[in-house]
Amino acid sequence: MFLFLVLTIGFVSGMYVANESMMSANRSGAEKYKLEYGHFELKSQADDALLSAIAAGDKADVKQFYLDKAQKELDEKFRSEFEKEFDAKFQTEFAAKFRAQFDPTFREQFDAQFQAGVLQQLIASGADQQTASAMLPAAVAQAKASGAYQAAYDQAYPAAYDQAYKAAYDDAYAGAYDDAYATAYQEAQDKLQTEIDEKYADAEEKYELNDPDFKPVPVTLYENFFRNETEDNNNDGQSDGTVRVYAPTEDINLACLLDGRFPASADEIAIDRMHADNVGVRVGDTITVGGEEFQVVGLLAYVNYSTLHEKTTDLMFDALKFDVALVTEDGFARLHESVHYAYAWRYVTPPADETAEKSLSDDFMRALLTQTVVAENDLQDYVPRYANPAVNFAPDDMGSDEAMGGVLLNILTVIIAFIFAVTISNTIAKESPAIGTLRASGYTRAELTRHYLTMPVIVTLLAAVVGNILGYTLFKNVVVGMYYNSYSLPTYQTIWNGQAFLKTTVIPVVLMFVVNLLIITRMMRHTPLEFLRRQLKKSRRKKAVRLPSWRFFARFRLRIIFQNVSNYVILFLGVFFVMVLLAMAVGMPSTLAYYQDNSENMIFAKYQYVLKDYEDADGNAVTTAIDGAEKFSLSTLLHRSDVLDEEVSVYGVEPDSRYVLCPGLADLTGSRVYITQSFSDKYGIQVGDTVTLDEKYENKSYEFTVAGLYDGSQSIAVFMPIAEFRETFGQDENAFSGFFSDAELTDLDLDNVATVITIRDIQKMADQLDHSMGSYMTYFQYLCILLSAVMIYLLTKLIIEKNENAISMVKILGYQTGEIARLYLLSTTIVLVLADAVSVFLGTAVMKTAWRVIMASYSGWFDFRMEPVGYVKMFAFVLIGYLLVLLLDFRRIQKIPLDRALKGAE
Amino acid sequence: MSDNEKNFLQIVDLKKGYGAGETRQEVLRGMNFSVAKGEICVLLGPSGSGKSTLLNIIGGIDNADGGYISIGGDKLQDMSEKRLTQYRRKHLGYVFQLYNLIGNLNVKENIETGAYLSDAPLDIDELLHTLGLYEHRYKLPNQLSGGQQQRVSIGRAIVKNPDILLCDEPTGALDYATSKEILKLIEDINQKYGNTVVMVTHNEAIRGMADHVVKLRDGQVRSNERNDRKISAADLEW
Repeated sequence: MFLFLVLTIGFVSGMYVANESMMSANRSGAEKYKLEYGHFELKSQADDALLSAIAAGDKADVKQFYLDKAQKELDEKFRSEFEKEFDAKFQTEFAAKFRAQFDPTFREQFDAQFQAGVLQQLIASGADQQTASAMLPAAVAQAKASGAYQAAYDQAYPAAYDQAYKAAYDDAYAGAYDDAYATAYQEAQDKLQTEIDEKYADAEEKYELNDPDFKPVPVTLYENFFRNETEDNNNDGQSDGTVRVYAPTEDINLACLLDGRFPASADEIAIDRMHADNVGVRVGDTITVGGEEFQVVGLLAYVNYSTLHEKTTDLMFDALKFDVALVTEDGFARLHESVHYAYAWRYVTPPADETAEKSLSDDFMRALLTQTVVAENDLQDYVPRYANPAVNFAPDDMGSDEAMGGVLLNILTVIIAFIFAVTISNTIAKESPAIGTLRASGYTRAELTRHYLTMPVIVTLLAAVVGNILGYTLFKNVVVGMYYNSYSLPTYQTIWNGQAFLKTTVIPVVLMFVVNLLIITRMMRHTPLEFLRRQLKKSRRKKAVRLPSWRFFARFRLRIIFQNVSNYVILFLGVFFVMVLLAMAVGMPSTLAYYQDNSENMIFAKYQYVLKDYEDADGNAVTTAIDGAEKFSLSTLLHRSDVLDEEVSVYGVEPDSRYVLCPGLADLTGSRVYITQSFSDKYGIQVGDTVTLDEKYENKSYEFTVAGLYDGSQSIAVFMPIAEFRETFGQDENAFSGFFSDAELTDLDLDNVATVITIRDIQKMADQLDHSMGSYMTYFQYLCILLSAVMIYLLTKLIIEKNENAISMVKILGYQTGEIARLYLLSTTIVLVLADAVSVFLGTAVMKTAWRVIMASYSGWFDFRMEPVGYVKMFAFVLIGYLLVLLLDFRRIQKIPLDRALKGAE
Repeated sequence: MSDNEKNFLQIVDLKKGYGAGETRQEVLRGMNFSVAKGEICVLLGPSGSGKSTLLNIIGGIDNADGGYISIGGDKLQDMSEKRLTQYRRKHLGYVFQLYNLIGNLNVKENIETGAYLSDAPLDIDELLHTLGLYEHRYKLPNQLSGGQQQRVSIGRAIVKNPDILLCDEPTGALDYATSKEILKLIEDINQKYGNTVVMVTHNEAIRGMADHVVKLRDGQVRSNERNDRKISAADLEW
């Protein structure tokens, strides 16, 4: 028990010391390495005016900006628009009427002019006035017959028409202008005002721009530009992942150098130590970044990347395929991908706590947003420190490890305390006459209680001392190794941890004291005479349970089980506890393996290209010629719960989609939708239920009725026909968000692509968890075997000790050790096997519930999976532990002396 | 009676000591006597005379330092641990002063622990009647009086019909009347089943029911005589 306590306390103490030391290094590192309070990214580089405005932290007058802009546009465009509108109206309403009026008038005028002209020609040819007048009708008729009349008419008509038309148009326009221009201008202005009011109201609501509690938040801004480049670790020409390359900074987000040196020339690079370890890159190696070769001269840990989260929405970091790196300015210029204009900020007046930090961040975001809008830039990303998983994941995880370690230690301490208590209880029963004599001689209950309490308390205290020594030396290094294997942490110094002392010394001793005090006090209630007569059980006069007419050995074993019910209950609880741990140790790799092996079935298209807009900069619809690409619409809404406001992807898909295979999806109308099986599993949503999803930044909700479940996607998502989607979200009839495709859409202009979701997004969590925890799970399995063996050993030892007299007696009677083992060990074996079998399922059920609770606080969903072989493994592991114990117990039975029965009768 | 039967149980120059050096204490100092098959032999002696040690060595639960014990011609010293177990299993029944019943088994089951060891055990129900325990057969030991517990102990020892019944102060924890009942029971069993009984006691009165009385003192046999005036256990008085 001492060893068991030492090892448990040692490990937990090591965890506390390592955690606290690393957390302390992390905290002090935030100042030392000038950790940002957050960062944002703009579409284009900010000019000095914008930077100054943002740094001042005050809001811009967005409404006035919109009004001024609109007025300017109105002034620029209204006249032409008015004319265009008048023209269109004139064309449709007046043109035909004008022609109808003009044509007869013109013909009359033309005929008169034509006849006058013919008459003049006749006179000019020698005819007198009278003869010419007489010849005129015939000459006109001849001209009409010869086409000369029509030719002259056609020649004269356009000019006359245009002239008349223009005059009429001008007259009409002048009239219309006098009558309508001012009114139309006013109407347009009013309409714009209304639109701006609505637009501003949305924005105001979205960002609480008129929050009366808003206070300007002055900040210091720092450029923190980066490029996302491909990384080829082994220079084989194939991309191995993405590396986020930063230009050097002086006053923000610095890196702790863990090996080598910082880059000094354009062809040198320093990369993340964790990633380098994972992919086997060492200082001195050459890697290819964005097609350019760099020599790795240093391994570092960026203060703002204690975990390598590529995106803030990533459920899990990815230290295998994602890297961060530092190059010189010249090195930065060698790269080709577009620069991400990221700006980090630090508050001029640092917040006192996280609540204050959130408040500052909210105000700052409003100011930033307005300033970006009025500068006609575009805010692409906004990540305050408290919401940045790359900064918070590691300390949060270490914090939860601490909490879990504490609970683990407390549970184990209570189990050991009960084992101690039962041992002492047995000892008291054995020493009952002596206790009776002492009590009869005048010793008080308190004195005897103190006597029996001393041992467990001293043992625990000693175990705590030794455990803490091991914790500060051996185990601390084990835990530190575990964390360095997952996180990019800076160097640390071991520090004294008062909490470790409290939790690994004071609390175990108190638990041990309390549990044993309760049991011993209860035992000590007996009178001296009862002690002298060994009458310590209340049930002494109870009748024996009648057993069926089974074989003698079967009944004997059943009697042993009845006799040791309390021990077996503790045994069951212990096995159950170990089984919960084993469920994690066995189920975690099984779950990860499942997701690694089946990730292809968990994404309905190999690529999801999400566009910035369905039209490019020129207003043309974005298209692709790659065969199989299919349009889809996507909107991200929030599913709100007490634990988490989770983003839900709402897809609009083609009715006959080749990717999202939902039978009946095409027939869905209104608010009827399909949801993913993951969505259903995570929130317990069933077919027929109504799901309410909210807009992220607007006070707008959507209610959907679940028509069916779709198991082709691992994400938390909703599916509806694309037409219904457009109607639901008020989109144009041609609008869409991107393309599903099983092939890379190489013909898409990447400038139009916001993001690409690939199978890697599914795989990376499983890969990273496997890398971080997979190997430890095997050790954890061994630890569980050991834990179960130790606990079973302690309890079976108690059972054997309790029956030493009986065992000695049956030995005297002539029972062989094998027969005794069949009686005393087989009964425990039966109980153990039953406890083992039941606990396999109970432990898994508890782990599944715990998993569900844990996952509820994270985005996304991974169902805990236990393969049938996993149950067998769990069962076998405890059994293996027990088989080891069985050997020891067999030897213990062998060693019980024959004269044991003669020295102390029951 | 043949020589073998006369010398069914032979104790020859038996020596046993505990401790070492100056603290060593010789408990048996070369003891010699024989017990005939089927007789009741009472070993009398004060505390420290070595009678319980002698009984333990006869019972195969302790070893002698010198000399030997033979039963039916077989020397215990020559037996392996396994054979000793077989010896106890087949030939011995043991009755203790403090009964040594298994507390979590009822009366019948305690007797069954003995019956299991025999290929031809006595009928348990009949034995329960003989012992006067039939009505109590489902009770646990702690629900019984001392005398009843000792009856169970005797039942457990006798159910396998052993050659030798070793009784270590069987009445030591009992009152007068109950003691007489127990002694009568042992006598009845001896007569009914013909077992050899070796009974250790410090109660001089019990010698009256014995065929053979051996008096011990300071680890040696002080007297070894036949009891020609054997009386029924029921007539014993002290």
